[in-house]
Formats: sequence, structure tokens, C-alpha cells
Amino acid sequence: MDILTILLIILFTPLVASLVIILIGKERRKWAPAIALLGSIGILISTTGLFLESQEFSYQYSWEWLSFGENTFYLGFVFDNIGATMLAMVSIVSLCITVFSMGYMSDDPARGRYFAGLSFFMFSMLGIILSSNLIMIFLFWELVGFSSYLLIGHYFDKNEARQASQKAFIVNRIGDFGFLIGIILTYWQFGTTNLEAIAGAVGVDASLISHLIGGLLICGFIGKSAQFPLHVWLPDAMAGPTPVSALIHAATMVAAGIYLLIRIDCLLTLEVLTFIAYLGTFVAVYAGFCAFAQKDIKRILAYSTLSQLGYMAAILGLGYSGIALFHLITHAFFKALLFLGAGAVIHACHHEQSIDKMGGLFKKMPITATSFIIGTLALCGVYGLSGFYSKDAILIAALDSNFQLFLLLILGAFLTAGYMGRLIWTVFLGKANSENADHAHEVSPIMSGPLIVLTLFAVLVGLNHYWPFGLGGIVSLDLDHLHHLEHYKSMHKTVLIWGSAAWIVGLLGSLLFYGRGSKADRLQDKAPKLYAFLESRLWMDELYAFYVNKIQQRLADILSFLDEVLLRGFIIRGGAGLVGVLGVGLRILQVGRLNAYYLWFFVGLILLWLYAAS
Amino acid sequence: MVFNPNAVNSAMFMIVVLVATAGLFVLLEAYFLAILQVLVYAGAVMVLFLFIIMLLDVDKGDDLKLGRRKLSLLARFFGVCLVAFLIFNSFSEVNLPSPDLGTVGDYPGIESGIDFSTSAKSFGLILFTKYMLPFQIIGFLLLIAMIGVIVISKKQKTAE
Amino acid sequence: MTIGINEFIIASSLLFLIGFMGVLLRRNTLIIYMSLELMLNAVNLALVAFSRFNQAMDGAIFVFFIMTVAAAEVAVGLAIIVMLFRKKQTVSVDELNQLKG
Repeated sequence: MDILTILLIILFTPLVASLVIILIGKERRKWAPAIALLGSIGILISTTGLFLESQEFSYQYSWEWLSFGENTFYLGFVFDNIGATMLAMVSIVSLCITVFSMGYMSDDPARGRYFAGLSFFMFSMLGIILSSNLIMIFLFWELVGFSSYLLIGHYFDKNEARQASQKAFIVNRIGDFGFLIGIILTYWQFGTTNLEAIAGAVGVDASLISHLIGGLLICGFIGKSAQFPLHVWLPDAMAGPTPVSALIHAATMVAAGIYLLIRIDCLLTLEVLTFIAYLGTFVAVYAGFCAFAQKDIKRILAYSTLSQLGYMAAILGLGYSGIALFHLITHAFFKALLFLGAGAVIHACHHEQSIDKMGGLFKKMPITATSFIIGTLALCGVYGLSGFYSKDAILIAALDSNFQLFLLLILGAFLTAGYMGRLIWTVFLGKANSENADHAHEVSPIMSGPLIVLTLFAVLVGLNHYWPFGLGGIVSLDLDHLHHLEHYKSMHKTVLIWGSAAWIVGLLGSLLFYGRGSKADRLQDKAPKLYAFLESRLWMDELYAFYVNKIQQRLADILSFLDEVLLRGFIIRGGAGLVGVLGVGLRILQVGRLNAYYLWFFVGLILLWLYAAS
Repeated sequence: MVFNPNAVNSAMFMIVVLVATAGLFVLLEAYFLAILQVLVYAGAVMVLFLFIIMLLDVDKGDDLKLGRRKLSLLARFFGVCLVAFLIFNSFSEVNLPSPDLGTVGDYPGIESGIDFSTSAKSFGLILFTKYMLPFQIIGFLLLIAMIGVIVISKKQKTAE
Repeated sequence: MTIGINEFIIASSLLFLIGFMGVLLRRNTLIIYMSLELMLNAVNLALVAFSRFNQAMDGAIFVFFIMTVAAAEVAVGLAIIVMLFRKKQTVSVDELNQLKG
């Protein structure tokens, strides 16, 4: 088979799976998991086949989609090293999540809808990965937003989930609006939206890019990757089923933002990149602090994702897009692992999500606990695990280019270790703090299986030189560049010391501070004001609420007034009145006699003739 | 025809008018159309009308009163005059005025295309060449009319 | 003295007017219907005359079509009238005035 066929198969397998699930009707509850599983396996197999088939990763396909006048838009696939790496990650992670979902959702009555949405989500994400131009990326970008809306709102009978899904959707729209304008400006500037063509044009004449285009394009990234100030949707998105959170956080939605940045790297000016770097660093630290004031196990992980995304954005802003991709990949695996682990814990504790009510779960569910702890260590960047390699590279790069950022990122790493330590000490050690946790037991193999697989990946995926099929070429490129820096040896040593210190201090400190399996949050007891400050998360939600209620509402009131008076009062009522009067007049003509109608007809004919003759 | 209160009489006068129109067609050398006129209109359509009139047994008394007598007297007068004129003409030497017509052939050629001709063949030729599609559509229309009439006149079961 | 196209047009217009007055003045649906036919015939006559004086066949063909349509129309119309009569026991348009506003 040629490459294009395989690409089409990869892209459309999940869509077909999703449609089949929707169309089989009443049987869907029974068959949906199997179909979704088949879809995921199909993606994995065809991806493997694609890697075996393709010698080098440089394929471009495009065909005409629309043309208006002189403007022609193309659809197209690009399959290069970045895309291939992402593809491998997405296919593996989504297969694991699908398998896990089969266990997690086994007693959910709306399984059909769930699995259809899951497959559709994969379709959208694969679309973003394979798109070769901005317009097509935008299409799938919106599909990602739509499917996340479906999945976050899966438990739509719960108010919280309903609002969270709407919030995610609307907040994403704000970012996407900027993104769309950015695309239009790009098209205006370059006459094409094909990324390779744009990169070529920029390579020839670097003055083509501008702050405006770059700034608008990264709006999409800020929305989708939940960067400050549009981060508010991500913690709320935890209202969805846990495997969905895993998918959103690890493989698809937030990764899409970073992936977009890697793709449009060439369009960003230095200033925009620096802005991204500072923004990312800020988010990394900010989210780290916020995570301390959360009690919901999933929300803690959500803030951890925010913080890790901050790392990716920071390193990307420093110009190492390859390392950003590297961290994206490693993060995808251990974050999927963490979320699925959290899902297993929640499932075992009968949908109890507060960490205060857990505790002592290590003995009850050893497989889950072990894999979760390995995931945590990987996240913290413990030597030898995947997180270490990417985080190490990020820190070295930061140390090389900007010492302030480096310090902040180290602080972020320390915070990461701190809140993750708090999480695992509270959840897994000590004694059970509630009845639900007391009755917890190890999850079924269908759920622990994916955990084990992801644990393996979380441990090993950092060894990027051993990735098969020459994946991650861009990663190796950036890492090599890093290795050949002047003071690499000494910097590496510094980073190693600081990084290790960060996680050791963080984990031990949290152990000492919070204790094992504690029932109440110690920070809340000792420093309630600080806790409240952290819990408020810089009052972003309140700020938005204020804006929406006080400012936007006023505008809406004015518009509503205009609507009432002008539209409804004048145009609609007036129009209706006019028609009514006409109707009364015309009714007189309806005498109900054929001859009279005939006469009217004749008069009309004469009038028409007069008109035509004049 | 219009002023006669009796529908059957109206129909009879209608037939006369149609036959007279057919005569005018003959004068115009459209022999085929004249025959069609007699067959279709005077033959089929008017018989249908008569049947319906009989079937429905419509009341004779109609409404139209105004000037009926005078009008019909006028019409009768013209009719008598016309007949007298015709009889006089056929027995006298004076020739009737004849239509000022150009000469036409009686056999249509493929080349002559759509020129007027007196023979029925020209109809066939032109119907199956230039007017093929309308011809088919007309045929279909007849079919539709037939089905429609059957549907309309079928007694509904609920009515019984 | 010869008869030109004018005479035929006048005859045709007269026939048409008679039909028109019939539709306008009569109350009996059947006679209204016949008047309609009369008007169609008047048009036919005009068409044949034009066709003859233009030495072209198209008018005659149209007459042919009009005849066909008229026949179909009569069939359908009469069927409708019969049904109307069954329902209302009348064919006078004075009593068929349900469309009155």
C-alpha cells in the first residue's frame, strides 16, 4: 500500500468506529467498547505498518478543497518526523486508554456515547497531527474542541459536568478566535496556509513574519493548552470521566497546543517566543502552587499538567522545539499513567475523588499504587526515568539561555515534587480515611494491564536514542545541539544536582509536612490564609465572573433593549401589523364567487398589459 | 350558446361552433387539424360534456335574464342573413372571396423542415423530430390525467 | 376582395370574447367549462391562421398540443365537477363559495 492510503486509513479508522457505534442503535451498549477497541488497535497496527512502509519521514500530499475566485484552499497531509513521533505516541496512549475505559466504564449506561466520543476525539487529534496546512489544522482543532465538549459533559445530568463542558468549549473559543484571525492574516501575508510553503517563504525573507501574526496564532495554543489566562477550563474539565481526562491531558487536547507551536515555530518572532517562554515558566510555577490547595486527586493532576505544559512552552520559547516535543512525549506517557492510576483509585473507592478520604491504598491495590508511584517519580524527574531526560534537557537549555527562567523552573520542579509527594503520601500510605477507601481492592486486569504497559513506557520512553524507526529525529537534533554547548559538562552537573535536590527535597519535605495518609490538610490547618490564597488561584475565575456579570452583562442588556424595542417592537410587530391590515383589506376581495375572481383576473391582466405596453 | 338557459342546448350550439371552426381550418388548408377538431372536440369532448349534463341532470332554470331575448333575436337574424347570402352565392355567378394564401406543397421534405404543408405527414415528421420532447411530455400528461380522473372519481370507502 | 389574416384574427377575437363573457356571466359550472373550451378554440384558430400565413408549421403543432391538453383538462375537470355534484348536489358557482374570506 502506498503511504497516502495508510494515512487515510489511520485518520478514518476512528471516525468509522465512532459512526458505527452511533449507527448500530440499541445494541451499542454491548458492542461499543469492542468497536472502539478495534478502532484503536487498527490505528496502532496501521501506524506500525506506516512506519515499516515509509523509508524516510517526508511525505506531503495535498488536493484542492475549495476555490473562491482567485483564492484556493487545499486539504493536505503531511507526514514528517514530528508527525510520526506524535502519531506513535497518540496511537499507543489512546489504545491504553481505550482498554482502560472498557474496565472503567463497564457499569456506565451511556457507554455507547462515551466510546463514540472517544473514537471521535482520536479522529480529531489524528487530523491535527496529519494536517499540512493551517486551515485543515483549524478544522480538526475545532473538532477536538467539540469532542472534548462531548466527553467532558459525559455525565450531563450533573450540573458540574455540564458547566465544565460549556466552560471548556467557550474558553477554547476565545483562544480559537485569535487563532482564526491569525490564520487569515497568515493567508493574507503569505498567500498560502501550507506550513512547509510558509516555512520556505520565511526562510527566504525573514521580515515576512510579524508580532501580530505570531501573537494571534499563539492564542489558539493558549486556549487549547490551557495556558494563563485561559487555563481556567482545564481543572474544571476533570468533571468528565477519568479516562477522558487522561486522553485530554496526555495525548490529545493540550498536546495539540504544543504540537501547533512546534509546527508554526517558523512563524513566531523572537519576541513572541520570549513571551511564550516567560508565560510557560509563569504557568509552571503558578500551577505548582495552585496544586497544593486542591483536594480532588484529579484536579491536582490537572494542575500538574498545567505546570508541565508550562515547561514545554518555556523550552519552546527558548527555541528548542525538539525538546518541547520530547517532553510532550514523555509527559504524555507518564501523565496518562497517572490519570489512569487515579482513575483506578477512584474506581476502587467508588467514585470518591477527595484525597482526604483515601489513604492506605498501597496495601489494597499494589499494582496501581506501584505504577502510580513510578509515574510520579517520572513526573518529578527522578534519575533514569523518562521525565528525567526531558526535564533535564529543559533545565540545561534554560540554564544556558536565561538564568531567571532556570531558577523558576527549578522552583517549579520542587513544587511538582511537593504536591505529587503530598498526593501519594496521602493516598497510598497510612490508614484508610473513609469507608469507601477501606473497601477498595485491586482493579481488574483490564484496567491494570494498561497501567503496566504505560509504566513500562513511562520508564523507558526517555531513552530517545533507542526509539524505533528513527522517530524523534528533531528531538535528537536539539539534544545534540545541547550536548555540544560550550559548558555542557558543568551545566549538566549543576542541573543534575539542582534537579535531584528539587525532587528529593520536595518528596521528603511533603512527607514530613503532611505525614502519611493524613486525614486533613496540614497546610490548611497551619496557614489557612495561605491555603485560601492558593485555593483562589489568583482569583481568575472570579475575575472572569466579574467581567461576564458586570461588563458583558451590561452590554448584553443594551443589546437586549435594542432587540426588544427596535426588532420586536418596531420591525416584527410593525411588520405583523402591516400584514394584518393588508389581510383585512384583501379579505374584502375574497367574495367567494367564481365570476368575481374571474373579473379580478381580467383586471389584473389588463393592468399587466398596460404595464408591459407602457 | 352562452345565453341559452338550457345546458343541453348550449352544448349543441357549442358543437356547431366547433364544426364551424373546423371549417375555418379547412379554409386555412389545415386539413389534418380540421379533422382533429371534429374528432376530438366535437366528437369526444362534447360527448363527454353531454354525458355529464345528462348524468347530473342540472336544473334548467338559470339566472341569466338580461337581454336574452333581444340577443338571440339578433343572432337569429344574422344567422338567417348568412344562410340566405350563402344560398344566393352558390346559385349566382359571383364568387365568394377566397383567402389570400401563398401556395404550399403537400409533401414535406426533410430539407424543407418546418414549412407549412397540408399533408398529415408533415405533422408526423415535425412531431418526431423537432418537438420530440414536448410530444413525449404530452403523452405523459395524458397518462397523468387518466390516472387522476380514476383517482378522483373513485368513491371513497368511508363515504359509503 | 380577399380574406387576409385580419379577418381570421377578428373571428378569433370574437370567439374569445364570447367565451370570456360566458365565463363571466354564467353560473352553471358546466357551461363555464364549455366557455373555457371555446376560448381555447379561439386561440387555436388564431394560431393556425398565423401559422398558415407565416408558412411555418410550429403554430399548427401548438394547436395539436393545445387540443391534447384541452382534452386532458376536460376529462379531469369534468371528473372534479361530478365529485362536486355528489358532495353538494349542485353545480352552480353561487353555492360553491367556501373560499369566501
